[in-house]
Amino acid sequence: MPASADELVALLDLEDLDVDLFRGRQPETSLQRVFGGQVAAQALIAGARTVDPAFVTHSLHSYFLLPGDTAVPIIYDVERLRDGRSFATRRVVARQHGRPIYYLTANFQRPEEGFDHQDVMPDVIPPEEGIDLAEIFRARGAVSAAASKEWEREWAALDVRYVGDSRRGLPEDPTRPARVRLWIRVNGEIGDDPLQHLAAFTYASDMTLLGSTLVPHGVNVSSPGMQVASLDHTVWFHRPFRADRWWLYDQESPSASGGRGLAVARGFTQDGTLGATVAQEGLIRHRDRS
Amino acid sequence: MPNVARDLVELLDLEHLDVDLFRGRQADTSRERVYGGQVAAQALIAGVRTVDPGYAAHSLHSYFLLPGDTQVPIVYDVERIRDGRSFATRRVVARQHGRAIYYLTASFQRAEDGFDHQDEMPDVPGPEEGVDMIGLMRSGGAPDADALAREWAALEARHIGTSRHGLPEDPAHPSRARMWIRVGDRLPDDPVVHLAAFTYASDMSLLGASLAAHRTNPTKVQMASLDHTLWFHRPFRADEWWLYDQVSPSASGARGVSLARVFTQDGRLVASAAQEGLIRPRRD
Repeated sequence: MPASADELVALLDLEDLDVDLFRGRQPETSLQRVFGGQVAAQALIAGARTVDPAFVTHSLHSYFLLPGDTAVPIIYDVERLRDGRSFATRRVVARQHGRPIYYLTANFQRPEEGFDHQDVMPDVIPPEEGIDLAEIFRARGAVSAAASKEWEREWAALDVRYVGDSRRGLPEDPTRPARVRLWIRVNGEIGDDPLQHLAAFTYASDMTLLGSTLVPHGVNVSSPGMQVASLDHTVWFHRPFRADRWWLYDQESPSASGGRGLAVARGFTQDGTLGATVAQEGLIRHRDRS
Repeated sequence: MPNVARDLVELLDLEHLDVDLFRGRQADTSRERVYGGQVAAQALIAGVRTVDPGYAAHSLHSYFLLPGDTQVPIVYDVERIRDGRSFATRRVVARQHGRAIYYLTASFQRAEDGFDHQDEMPDVPGPEEGVDMIGLMRSGGAPDADALAREWAALEARHIGTSRHGLPEDPAHPSRARMWIRVGDRLPDDPVVHLAAFTYASDMSLLGASLAAHRTNPTKVQMASLDHTLWFHRPFRADEWWLYDQVSPSASGARGVSLARVFTQDGRLVASAAQEGLIRPRRD
């Protein structure tokens, strides 16, 4: 996985194979399956490369089909679904070994003005007062020092600070039993291209979301016996923002049932601008509970 | 548009043309474009028809591409994306005049047990205390209230309130709308019919929630659904009241995003919905 902002930028720079056909490289990793956020971000870049630069991404919807193989590159094949006056739509198939592993559809819009409102950012501690996620990982105890080092290496491109969850650290709200708030940023500058920031945010947006679905159940994604996998991933981009500046990831899981958990998150910049909304359903299985 | 539940059931009953190819009829309507909820529901049914009945739909994601023509049927073409041990995935293209008007992807799962939690239902007045939606439009002076009443006759919708009027104040969420909805008469017991009928109804009011924060006359706004997403959490009946708790976290750039939670009257969270739509102030 990219160990720095520069390596993340390199990961998001696809190789052009032919018209509407791209190849994404693999980072060095000890993960057994390709990280979903990487596939989503690379697929978004592939789609954006085929759209008139005057159009800006405002949403993506995607399904994960098969685990990605970390040992071979991923092919991104773009289908042009629509090129309208105001909107453009692309579908991207991510392929490995001749099989689709992931489908993404993204929508692009020529910027225009209109109604404006947004949710108000919750009152939270600043990022400096949050706990580094690596420390939390270490404190989980069950993992060895070597595993902890490895985890830190894998996620070194991101800076993540834990604010609190519904069991600890957040104001009580019994009507919403599964919440986790984090501050996140890319760990270093990634340039000024707005697309780079959307893609880097997309990369990071898949890292912690399903964790929020487990909060009421006293387990986490790395607990023994847990099988966790993203099923879908959705992002709505509301306003431009920089992924290399802190954003509050306010995650909430309205529901878990049938081996699945749904999480919805809002991404606020530090000055309170709502930059994006994210939704993800995932498989959350425990060996002993099913 | 279907004016009794029986018409709605018929509308959702597709004609089988060939393997993985279906045709959906059109309802009698004065609308200029096909209602998005109809296309979503018909496309979902098309997908379901190609999946082993041991699997139940748990999510759908879709994009609206072109306005649908109410004068010709819609063809639904299903692509089998995956048939796994636990999950199956289908992509459905809705076509008219040789052009794709709508794409839906749906995921299906073989039933299993696991972790269980849900948000609590907000404290709201019962459906009996809500205001009939059509009555509300009529009293608001909507010139097309009678036509709307006919179009939406298969559904009952009772307005509870919006963030500007009727709901407890919550400055953190400036754009909210809550209503009770159900299909007006009894539907058959097939769970797929209930998922599809709910899907049909789920597109009616969602985008409106993104205008709740704005003092505007809806006739002065060009509105169109851009995408539509549902997650089905637990089985429920679409012909019994459900609370549609809609919040729009954001509007910007002539688009609004709305999220909704769906609770049955006994407080079970049975589905979540999300939609982004075009909300463009008309220039005339």
